[in-house]
Amino acid sequence: MNHSVLVSTLAAAVIAGTPLVWASLGALLNERAGVLNLGVEGMMLLGACTAFLASHATGSAVVGLLAGALGGAGLATVHAVSSITLRANQIVSGLALTIFGSGLARYLGKPVEGTTITGKIGDLPVPGLRALPVLGPVLFDQDALVYLSWVACALAAFYLGRTRPGLNLRAVGDSPATADAMGIRVAATRYAHTLAGGALCGVGGAYLVLRVVSSWNQEGTTGGQGWIALALVVFAGWRPLLVIAGAYLFGLALRANFALQGEGVAIPAELLSMLPYLLTIVVLVVLSVTKRDGGAPQSLGRPFVRDER
Amino acid sequence: MKGLTLERRAAAGVREVLAVPVLSVLGGLLLGAIFLRATGHDPVAVYREMVTGTLTTSYGLADTVTTSIPLILAGLAAAVAFRVNLYNIGGEGQIYLGAVAATGATLWVGDTAPAVVQLPVLLVAGAAGGAAWIAVPALLRAWFGTNETITTLMLNLVALYLVQYLILGSHSFWRDPDSPTFPKGKPLPDAARLATFGTTSVHLGLVVALAAVGVVAFVLRKLRLGLDMKIMGDAPDAARYAGIPVRRTMVVVLLASGALAGLAGAVEVGGRTHQLDPNGTAVGFGYTGIIVAALARLSPVGVVVTAVLLGVLENSKSVLQTMSDQVPLAITTMLEGAILIFAIGGEILVRHRIRRRTAPVTPAAQETAVGETAAVETAAEETAR
Repeated sequence: MNHSVLVSTLAAAVIAGTPLVWASLGALLNERAGVLNLGVEGMMLLGACTAFLASHATGSAVVGLLAGALGGAGLATVHAVSSITLRANQIVSGLALTIFGSGLARYLGKPVEGTTITGKIGDLPVPGLRALPVLGPVLFDQDALVYLSWVACALAAFYLGRTRPGLNLRAVGDSPATADAMGIRVAATRYAHTLAGGALCGVGGAYLVLRVVSSWNQEGTTGGQGWIALALVVFAGWRPLLVIAGAYLFGLALRANFALQGEGVAIPAELLSMLPYLLTIVVLVVLSVTKRDGGAPQSLGRPFVRDER
Repeated sequence: MKGLTLERRAAAGVREVLAVPVLSVLGGLLLGAIFLRATGHDPVAVYREMVTGTLTTSYGLADTVTTSIPLILAGLAAAVAFRVNLYNIGGEGQIYLGAVAATGATLWVGDTAPAVVQLPVLLVAGAAGGAAWIAVPALLRAWFGTNETITTLMLNLVALYLVQYLILGSHSFWRDPDSPTFPKGKPLPDAARLATFGTTSVHLGLVVALAAVGVVAFVLRKLRLGLDMKIMGDAPDAARYAGIPVRRTMVVVLLASGALAGLAGAVEVGGRTHQLDPNGTAVGFGYTGIIVAALARLSPVGVVVTAVLLGVLENSKSVLQTMSDQVPLAITTMLEGAILIFAIGGEILVRHRIRRRTAPVTPAAQETAVGETAAVETAAEETAR
């Protein structure tokens, strides 16, 4: 493989990985609060749809992004109410969210099917750094949302590891009863992070339409990327900074087949597409066989009921 | 919710049990009506069309029943696993693998074999394919505690790409060599096709599905396995102390769940598509099966009713296509999701009673009350996981 193909493939992997970074970070915040949300695919798709509609109406990518975040957070509210307040089964609630969200996105998106938008996210090369060999074009000749995703992950890592609210969040995810006894408001913390997580998933979906494709395709806008994002959280061991590395690796798996075909290496696209999921299963297996939790929040997926009467 | 408190019901009555699914459907339809109205459609006309098109014409009714066949099996698959708090959400992938195995086996047996041979081959291979696809998650869950939700979910997407690879991405045994330009599955031998009732699309798979309902209901009510499952579902900790072979039961239940989903794939290819179809073999039915099971509150007999209901929704896509008022077909998916959300949100009302918080109780009385309810509550929350 020659140099320029390698560089352009890696750059494409970064673009393909960026929606995953945003959505995974959202899912990670959900899960760190102890709320498992299998609705990521639905939130991404609805975020993509609202972002597209807003950009379509206003011609502004910024408005589109905000609309995407709102769409994701709005849908996440449903999950918060059902799984936190009503203590519904989080797995089924999350699936319901994906089903409802993708239905809603396709319903709302139907009138604009096939149209394109002008309010897109533009290139934003970083002066100086872009001239670096390999790293320049791969990492620093991208767009604002790529750089912001690094900032967001770094902030999340700092938040989780070094700040009081972040430590409280981890307490809520690991042992809500203890957190409750410490005076942390468990339900409020879970609500806040479920909504914030939903907003980030919405941004991930928005990035897909505002940057990667600029048209609305009824069936294939997210194409299962929400599931990859969920897998990525496990793969990254619930650590924000590892999400970036994992997302680019999975992004490479999504893009590598084009480059490989160009080189005459025929690995079927379908088999490459399986890779993120198979890798995640392998990680899970290794973690469970070696009896490590891999960073999983201890109370993930469990509703919290304070024994009050 | 200041002033309101939830109190656990000792046992939910028939009224509560039936109220939730019925109200969920009404709630979902109401929400859908709001969206339809807001986007300039007439909800009454749309719903009338959906009901008349899928239930009142003999053709429509037959199609609805045909659609509900795989849904019954997919619903049963989810119900048996969910009953013991094993969240197999891999029904989708197990359906695909059931279809792959059923088509592969019947094609391998070949055109010369009679139906007496081919039909058992179709069903057994389908069930085996579904069970094989869940075997790894099942063993990992039983022995290492690996989260079956994530592993079964991941395998859904692997299965999807596998089917696409077999038909679109390669010249596999499953692909029809006579159709080089439009990749499609090799047609199933005639003897492996499930007979239809008269001129309708309803096929023998209906008998298979109803028989499966009977078997599952029998096992749950009459066999030791059913009792073990009930204890494991209601009180996982007690199950261990009661000497129930927890690991073995987990594996058996999950394999059975996978086999039921695999059967759904087998009857779809045997009764409807007659080939391994990368786009048309019960796409999404694994997830719809979870709705079927949740609405039926995991009752095997209830699954039959809710499968028909979901069959109506799925089938109304084709009805809506013919309507002059162009309603986006996604309305049916929205309705399915909304009904499911209402159903699981309403579940708390089956298990609890909402009470106005009464005047302060004396500390002593409160203490005993907390002690008693807390124990029940813990067991219940354990179940809910």
